[in-house]
Amino acid sequence: MERLHATFSGANFTFKPRTKITLLVRSLFHVKANLTQAVPAGNLPFTRFVEDFRIGAFAFAQKWESCNLAFPPWSWLPCPKHPWLAPPEEEGYLSLEKICISRPNEEEDIDQISQIDTGEEETCCSRNEDVLDDATLVQSNHHELHYCDFHIVYGSTFRVPVLYFCAYCSDGRPLPLDEIEKELPACASKELSKKWTFITQEEHPCLKRPWYKLHPCGTAEWMKLLFLSDTANPKFEVVLELYLLSWFSVVGQVFGLRISLKISN
Amino acid sequence: MAKQGSGSILQFAPLQSSVDEGFWHRLSSLKLNKFGIDDSPIPISGFYAPCSHPQVSNHLTLLAESLPSDSNDESTMPPVIRGNRNRCSVPGILYNTNTMEGFHALYKQGLLKAEAMKIWEDIHSGKAVEDCAVLSRVLLISFADLKKWNFHYWFAFPALALDPSATLVDLRPASQWFTLEEAESVSAACNEWRNSSVTADVPFFLVSIDSDSHAAVKHLKDLEACQRDGQKLLFAFYDPCHLPNNPGWPLRNFLALISARWNLKTVRFLCYRENRGFADLNLSLVGEALITVQQGWREQQCVPNAVGWELNKGRKVPRCINLAKSMDPTRLAISAADLNLKLMRWRALPSLNLEILFSLKCLLLGAGTLGCQVARMLMAWGVRKITLLDNGRVAMSNPLRQSLYTLDDCLNGGDFKATAAVRSLQRIFPAVEAEGIVMAIPMPGHPVSSQEEKSVLEDCKRLNDLIDSHDVIFLLTDTRESRWLPTLLFANSNKITITAALGFDSFLVMRHGPGPFNSIPNLKAETENSLAAGMDNLALTNTDGQHRLGCYFCNDVVAPTDSTSNRTLDQQCTVTRPGLAPIASALAVELLVGILHHPNGIFAEAEIANSSSGGNFELPLGILPHQIRGSLPHFQQMTLLGHSSNSCTACCSTVVSEYRKRGMQFILQAINHPTYLEDVTGLTELMRSANSFQLDWDDDIEVADDECVEL
Repeated sequence: MERLHATFSGANFTFKPRTKITLLVRSLFHVKANLTQAVPAGNLPFTRFVEDFRIGAFAFAQKWESCNLAFPPWSWLPCPKHPWLAPPEEEGYLSLEKICISRPNEEEDIDQISQIDTGEEETCCSRNEDVLDDATLVQSNHHELHYCDFHIVYGSTFRVPVLYFCAYCSDGRPLPLDEIEKELPACASKELSKKWTFITQEEHPCLKRPWYKLHPCGTAEWMKLLFLSDTANPKFEVVLELYLLSWFSVVGQVFGLRISLKISN
Repeated sequence: MAKQGSGSILQFAPLQSSVDEGFWHRLSSLKLNKFGIDDSPIPISGFYAPCSHPQVSNHLTLLAESLPSDSNDESTMPPVIRGNRNRCSVPGILYNTNTMEGFHALYKQGLLKAEAMKIWEDIHSGKAVEDCAVLSRVLLISFADLKKWNFHYWFAFPALALDPSATLVDLRPASQWFTLEEAESVSAACNEWRNSSVTADVPFFLVSIDSDSHAAVKHLKDLEACQRDGQKLLFAFYDPCHLPNNPGWPLRNFLALISARWNLKTVRFLCYRENRGFADLNLSLVGEALITVQQGWREQQCVPNAVGWELNKGRKVPRCINLAKSMDPTRLAISAADLNLKLMRWRALPSLNLEILFSLKCLLLGAGTLGCQVARMLMAWGVRKITLLDNGRVAMSNPLRQSLYTLDDCLNGGDFKATAAVRSLQRIFPAVEAEGIVMAIPMPGHPVSSQEEKSVLEDCKRLNDLIDSHDVIFLLTDTRESRWLPTLLFANSNKITITAALGFDSFLVMRHGPGPFNSIPNLKAETENSLAAGMDNLALTNTDGQHRLGCYFCNDVVAPTDSTSNRTLDQQCTVTRPGLAPIASALAVELLVGILHHPNGIFAEAEIANSSSGGNFELPLGILPHQIRGSLPHFQQMTLLGHSSNSCTACCSTVVSEYRKRGMQFILQAINHPTYLEDVTGLTELMRSANSFQLDWDDDIEVADDECVEL
């Protein structure tokens, strides 16, 4: 059976960060803020307007769609504060849904976590009731697949983008964090990204129920470093465009979501 | 890819359900806020899309939007869902019962027939041709247990059964049935259909191919026109199934429509499937079915049998899902607290040992200004097992200074502090394991009559048991003498003991040193694992008391006596500046955390804060002092070190060995005879010899603790 995440591992991985992230790890605490005028703070360019985020988000989604054929495109979803009013256009988030994260040949010992063996006998369905007829195909058990939804939301506390995610089985049952972590790619960058990212749980600002997210308190710091070495003085619009790409190049690694960087030019 | 044998019964792959967590959240909200016990059926919408992956079928999905809005400003209208290309909307109905019995008592076949009837009527009235989305329906029965957050549910996808079932003449990949030209044209036409917002969510359609191999996609209502033109005609539908040898479930009702409405016997169909958003004719199937229904099957009044209850892993039982983790407020509070501490660990304190904090059992003697604050601080650090001991009741002035109490606790004479405190802690964090003990601590200098002796002995025993069953004790009482017995008991068992005491504008926070009967071992992780248990293994040698850190009584030259009676009025009235208790309590808890993270634990040597230590600490939490004395008038704090005294009335080797030899009798003697302790420890002798000198006391000599009037 064809490996399901062939699309995953086969994605073009030509991304080279502008500066070596390994170096940055060691030098993080010794870097003086010798910043160019272009990007004075790691949480630019969204320090002023939610609108900036939307512009950046659209640019990111476009670049993604054009260069990342392995994945479906991101869509922009409005975030309704009041469901009966039309939400202002600016308020929303990027959504990428139903990304398969499980490996194909896992023997899943399902349903110990959330499905309860209600101990119900088959007698609850009496013999007279047709559940099956001869035109119904009886399928053998196929293994469970796990999916992940990603949302990129603008976090106004730290004024940086925040990656929210949740994972679930094919019947919709949510997966707890320790299950998700088993699926995450075991690679060197995971260890690295653990230094930069911390998974926590918080109420999704739009959906109003708990989602996992990568804690944003460090984002401004390492985004500052990513932009530091850019000696050229980029225009604000360019910065807007590239901000989310650079940001995602780091956080996406937690999930093995890599983006091909023909984009950067 | 073998085709299904011709002449065999056409078997359809059942639809599979998928319920987004948001659906259950919204259902709970509707139940709690809008519907209450009303269990009328609720209109819902399901969603599906054509298969988009060669190995995985698409499911019929329910989302939060499948239910009516739970906002108070809207009426319970059926959700008006405008689909899009990824969400073809399927009308449906939900029967949510109020009890488990009700759930099992639902007449499932009746409900299924009722839904099938709706489809049958739509077929005969022509509505199914106009708005083909009604050919598929979803029926859901559920029971939402909103105490345990268990959701029991069962899906049915009503399908009208042909009688007898249709047979399959042919089935193969579409790319093998169309010519190359046709295939190209069909793909293009389908993609156009899928890209137009008007038709993207229309799941049943016609594909007609003219003699020029040019394909066109038409609505069902154009059937007659297509038939007239005599072109190749396929009945197409969005097929969520990916299987190479079986079409998906929606085809069942489609065939029912085709047979009932247009009386066709041979039906050529196209199972439309996609890949990455475009028509995939390798994945899509073209087949031919033969329908040979009985006479009378097509009559409107003769409703066909309905099938479609979803199997749960091959069994005819409902499914159940538990969402306590994301819906139960207590679970959410626990996980938020955990994550908060882990965040601190990640950001600032990688060596933070959360496991030890979670498993620690703390005993707080005193539930007053100090006790309330210490309990709160402990919870903030992740400590979950807290026992409070106090024999007092909440007085009217208490809530202002004792942060766990409110006015309600003062009414009707006042609740017992221990129980009120536990209640309060549980309100703050339901997962705390808090226990309140209403008990007085036996004290030296407060003699007991012989009638009381028995209960006093019981209290002593009880105190001893409590100390045995806890890892840490905080001495937070309001008199010096009440601290004596616990100090002795803890010195005997080498548990972590922390004392906090308040003056009017000064405070003392200190950790007691280890008892006299254990040498200082080379401890590594042992201290962290078993804070007391491992001590039994060590040799019972008398260590050189001078290196031991002292306890609260080590500096006293008098035994603890009755400090409450025979005092001047200003001494009896114990007042402190309000800011002191929070400061001292906080320091006491931080000191504890420091001890827990020190490799030597209770045996750790004392460090003094000085300016030369700068910002570099050996241990991440900083230094571990022995005593902290603070003064509010100076806004100053000092760290001090006091070694144990060989004449200490609570922890010297003489006293502890007497206790070990004689147990409760020794305690009783100390309680009843005020000078007994001084005699035993040799303090009496010391005082006599000091008094025999004719000396003027030097003004600089401090007898430190007498200043403190504790609250």
